[in-house]
Amino acid sequence: MNKITKLAVVLGIIGAIAGGVLAGVYQITAPVIQAQNLKELNKGLSEVFPGDYKFEKFSGTLKSPAPDVTFNSIYLVKKDGKLVGMIIDATSPGDQAPIEMLVGVNRNGTINGVKILKSLETPGLGANASNPKYYVNKAKKITFLGQFKGKKITDPFIPKKDIIAITGATITSTAVSKAVKAAGVAAYDYMSKEGGS
Amino acid sequence: MKKLKIIWNGIVPSNPVLILAIGLCSVVAVTNFVQNALLMSFAFSFVLILSEVIVSAIRKWIPDEIRVPIFVVVIATFTTIAALLSHAYFPAVYDAIKLYILLVVVNCIIIGRAEAFAYKNGIFDSLLDGIGMSIGYSWVIIAIAVIRELFGNGTIAGIHVMPQNFQPALVMILPPAGFLVLGVLVGWLEWNLKRKEAKK
Repeated sequence: MNKITKLAVVLGIIGAIAGGVLAGVYQITAPVIQAQNLKELNKGLSEVFPGDYKFEKFSGTLKSPAPDVTFNSIYLVKKDGKLVGMIIDATSPGDQAPIEMLVGVNRNGTINGVKILKSLETPGLGANASNPKYYVNKAKKITFLGQFKGKKITDPFIPKKDIIAITGATITSTAVSKAVKAAGVAAYDYMSKEGGS
Repeated sequence: MKKLKIIWNGIVPSNPVLILAIGLCSVVAVTNFVQNALLMSFAFSFVLILSEVIVSAIRKWIPDEIRVPIFVVVIATFTTIAALLSHAYFPAVYDAIKLYILLVVVNCIIIGRAEAFAYKNGIFDSLLDGIGMSIGYSWVIIAIAVIRELFGNGTIAGIHVMPQNFQPALVMILPPAGFLVLGVLVGWLEWNLKRKEAKK
């Protein structure tokens, strides 16, 4: 057997063993990871709409009014069969990587809650957006995301005007505010057209 | 005694971070909070110890020309296993440090030890070297993280220890301070070692 074939065979065998081991570990962990993700999603949905609601995946699509905000998936929030709000899973470009968040919108056009799902913002600065102990209003103990609750979607949503920005993280603050506004406008638009159901 | 020396070697005389000064990029990245440093230590030790043992076990069958690709395959396999396991069983924790866990693949300490030690020594010695290097890496990054989190955020592992009116120095949890604190630690250790030598 010439040298180069021998090298290829050895490398091939080691690669195959490694691949086999990984396939085994993946088989064991994949269902656990999937269950975790589903649990996370349900937990997230009931965090932006706490209470006795049913969540249904929305089959249609909505167009985002802001060009750099994209909508990943949309959920209808129902109570006793009636549409009371919507949750939009939206992505907005952050300081380091896209920030993914859930935005809950009430039927009357106010924001019900915001939760960040994925972000890679700077720890201690932009990452404070999802820190439950970082208060933008220390006296009232309002977190950065907490301040969106109850805001009307007709508000400007501009940091340092009607939104209190996170210290040292204007890009993150702007990215989140923009996505919340876009999701709010799109969801309200849909709900006011849909009428009764 | 000789075996103990292999472990001790990684902790101080050939400390991978302070003396050999390799793998510094991840050191700067994960030492902003103690929690990150702790988790990184676990992932790092898991990958380093197992990779050294496996490389040492198969070293007789590894052709010299392709040893580096083989080390990389072994290391990448353990890194992926560490990532999958932590994703499945510690999802919250994994979310915070997944980037750092995946970066263990390209950590030059691990490939360096595989090449310099495990490839030339027996399985048991390689195991000891892995343990020593892991302790050496862990104590340094946890020490740096304690200093940075304390001054940069007023906390240690998330627990408030500084007085209420303490104004955290944000720069301490940003990357530049990683180099600053690392430099001070290197200087402190060198100074101590020199002083010991002079006494002799």
